[in-house]
Amino acid sequence: MKQPLHPALIAFSVVVFFFLVAPLVIILGAAVSDTTFLTFPPQGFSTRWFVKIFEMSAFRRTIVTSLEIAFLATGLALLFGLPAAYALNRYRVQLPSWLSTMYVLPILVPEIVLGFSLLKTVAVGADMPVFATLVAGHTLIVLPYAVRVISASLSSFDFSMEEAAISLGSPPLKTFFTVVLPNVRSAVIAAFILAFITSINDVSVSLFLTGPGVSTLPIQILAHVEQFFDPVIASVSVLLMVLTVGVMAVVELTLGLTFLAK
Amino acid sequence: MLKRFAGWLMSTPATLLVLLLLLVPVAATIAATFGDTRGPFAPYADFFGSPFRRAVLWRTIEIASITTVIALFVGFLTAFVVSRAPGRLKSILIIAAVFPLLTGVVVRSFAWLIILGKNGILNNFLIWLGVTDEPFAMLYTEGSVIVAMVYLFVPLMILTLVGVLEGIPDDLLQAASSLGATPAATFRQVVFPLAVPGLIVGAVLVFTGSFTSYATPQLLGGERQMVMGTLLYQRAMVAFDWQGASAVAAIMVVVTVSVVLGMTRIARRLNPMSS
Amino acid sequence: MTQPLTIDRLSAHYGKVQVLEDFSLKIAAGELVSLLGASGCGKTTTLRLIAGFLEPTGGTIRLGEQDLTRLPAHRRNIGLVFQNYALFPHLTVAENVGFGLKQRGVALPEREARVTEMLGRVELTDLGDRLPAALSGGQRQRVALARALVIEPPLLMFDEPLSNLDAKLRVGMRAEIRQMQRANGTTSVFVTHDQEEAFSISDRVAIMQAGRIMQFDTPETLYSRPANAFVARFVGFENLIEMRVVARKGDLVEAEAAGGALLTLSQADFGAIPDAFVLGARPEGLVVAGPDAPGIPATLGLRSYLGRAYQYLCDSPAGPLTAQGPLGAAQEAGSAARLQPVAAQCCILAPEA
Repeated sequence: MKQPLHPALIAFSVVVFFFLVAPLVIILGAAVSDTTFLTFPPQGFSTRWFVKIFEMSAFRRTIVTSLEIAFLATGLALLFGLPAAYALNRYRVQLPSWLSTMYVLPILVPEIVLGFSLLKTVAVGADMPVFATLVAGHTLIVLPYAVRVISASLSSFDFSMEEAAISLGSPPLKTFFTVVLPNVRSAVIAAFILAFITSINDVSVSLFLTGPGVSTLPIQILAHVEQFFDPVIASVSVLLMVLTVGVMAVVELTLGLTFLAK
Repeated sequence: MLKRFAGWLMSTPATLLVLLLLLVPVAATIAATFGDTRGPFAPYADFFGSPFRRAVLWRTIEIASITTVIALFVGFLTAFVVSRAPGRLKSILIIAAVFPLLTGVVVRSFAWLIILGKNGILNNFLIWLGVTDEPFAMLYTEGSVIVAMVYLFVPLMILTLVGVLEGIPDDLLQAASSLGATPAATFRQVVFPLAVPGLIVGAVLVFTGSFTSYATPQLLGGERQMVMGTLLYQRAMVAFDWQGASAVAAIMVVVTVSVVLGMTRIARRLNPMSS
Repeated sequence: MTQPLTIDRLSAHYGKVQVLEDFSLKIAAGELVSLLGASGCGKTTTLRLIAGFLEPTGGTIRLGEQDLTRLPAHRRNIGLVFQNYALFPHLTVAENVGFGLKQRGVALPEREARVTEMLGRVELTDLGDRLPAALSGGQRQRVALARALVIEPPLLMFDEPLSNLDAKLRVGMRAEIRQMQRANGTTSVFVTHDQEEAFSISDRVAIMQAGRIMQFDTPETLYSRPANAFVARFVGFENLIEMRVVARKGDLVEAEAAGGALLTLSQADFGAIPDAFVLGARPEGLVVAGPDAPGIPATLGLRSYLGRAYQYLCDSPAGPLTAQGPLGAAQEAGSAARLQPVAAQCCILAPEA
């Protein structure tokens, strides 16, 4: 049915996918090397660098901070984003069209500029605590995922269903939770996952906002690499990857990953 | 009564969030550059008066452009293969592209440190092959930054383009071949023109992403290959020259916004479905 | 120029599912043949096999002297009109029409001349510079037709080309397609699920089911002399009554239905009637008469008004039947009646194996 692909094209794609996957395999190998320096292929096998992560208080602290911030920021983004996405679709006629552009601005504005501006105006200017500013910054950069993914799902939602429920005697707020939300459930999950991963991996915004005693994992990794070139970094990276795999497994099981490609 | 404002009521919290924490701070940063005690354009005069900073801007544009072109080429061909792959293989390939995308920028850039370092895999391999006796200094060059950037953005390009290519109905390809077009001619005359809007979206994502990146050039380019992102950080946090940093920030905003606006305008004009 | 199409013992699979088995069909040069059937009957598969978008697992496809079976789609030289037209959205109407000529290396001046001429024939002369998105459904259909015709193919194929048009336009386009096809004398295959469309446009129709041809004949023969119960039902013989001959008197045959109802049929109307047969009757082929008249005894049920007659759902010893009665004499549900066959609206079929 389909035209066969040119063998050269197929060979090219094989090389590309090798290029995509190989570096991640290399990190995995380097993380279990029984050496004090980074090397691949690994020499010997050891899990001591994984143990080492948790022995180093800087990593322990930043892992906890990163998780706290990711959960808080994702939760807040959904709290703000869900009603906004609902309003954009349900009250399309009532609201101006620039409003939806507003919610993608955090993607449009370079993150590093946002980070610097938050430092200047909010952290220093308004004297906001470091942790609060970090949460605020992360909430902003993940808000577009919440609004866009849920909005895309709501755009195919038939709002006459909601009216049907109300005509049958269900109060509006209850209707939202019993009729609307179950129908966009997978979008909410997808938004949560995308937002969570974006937050936990963020560098550019956190870069300016981390302060004395409060830092995130990626920033800590960056700081560590500048001074040491040991397998701890590889094993922390693997830890982050495992977290990603875990999240992806959840997505795959609940929605199927191809969902993310849309 | 309440109904008339329900939409506003629900969207306002998110709007305020963006307004207060994004628009106001960024606007303040840009505004500050015009409020310099030495005159309204002094920070820009500093920036463009410095050969070093001019070189940084030029290098950033160069790296972002080369990365975009390579990512377009690699991404388009690969996406075409992915979009034509049979169902099961297709999902595996998509997962293989999504996975690096979900792995953090720091982790992915770090991998290239291991590969490109003096004692890195690539050098060891080249020595083993007998290509060279001395390891090449590959790190902290423009090339190393570009390689890592391409690695960073190719998955994004593939996913964007797979979506676009799958949106091209099979019917059109069949129509072309029923009219006598060879597979190559179909690709050139039907697939490529219909993918142009997607290519533009992908190019915008990659260009703005690489133009404003920090972690990758920091790890693989270091001080020697300073780009706008690392310059902004250096001005703000090392030199404490906030006016200089604000000027860098403002230039970054202007470049990204004009690229986004310019390219979307071109995309709209080229989109055959829009009329 | 125009060529006969010969399909011989073609088989095809989707994965493990066999969609066509030993499928044979001969279409004479210049003939328009419809493949008619419900979705999943294999008609579209057949078309895609001929076009070269699917590869058969066995059998051959020949156009005139040329064996198409293993030829890549782009070298088959078949004009194809798609269900949703498949116009290239990025090319103008003229570029769409000229696409095939360009592939054939026709030089620009000649290409333009032929495109202009073809656009004239489909009455789209002024729209050559438009993009397909700016056209109405009927206009798109014409562009698709022009695009397929301009390469002067020895074979034209249509894949449900009218199903996206509204009813009025459909009838008009039908006539246009038929006229063009007649004028060019191009052998054509027309795939549709619409019986009226197939019958009105075709020289012959192949009625398909489950990957097999149930009957391949002229529309007139299919309509009045279906070869089997499937085709009979397809062309509107809603009542199929199993019968058995009990007596013969010259041309007249007395036959008994299940439940004992006796009917007298004439072989002058139906041709030779075998001892066991199935009587096929359209609703208008069973007329409601009084309870004492001859015919199949029945109890009338739900009545619906059709404008020219009343239609009744009936219960009879031979099973549920659909019959019609005159407008002047509406019958209430539950009344007893006799149903009399009208020879012109009935047919005789061999009993099912």
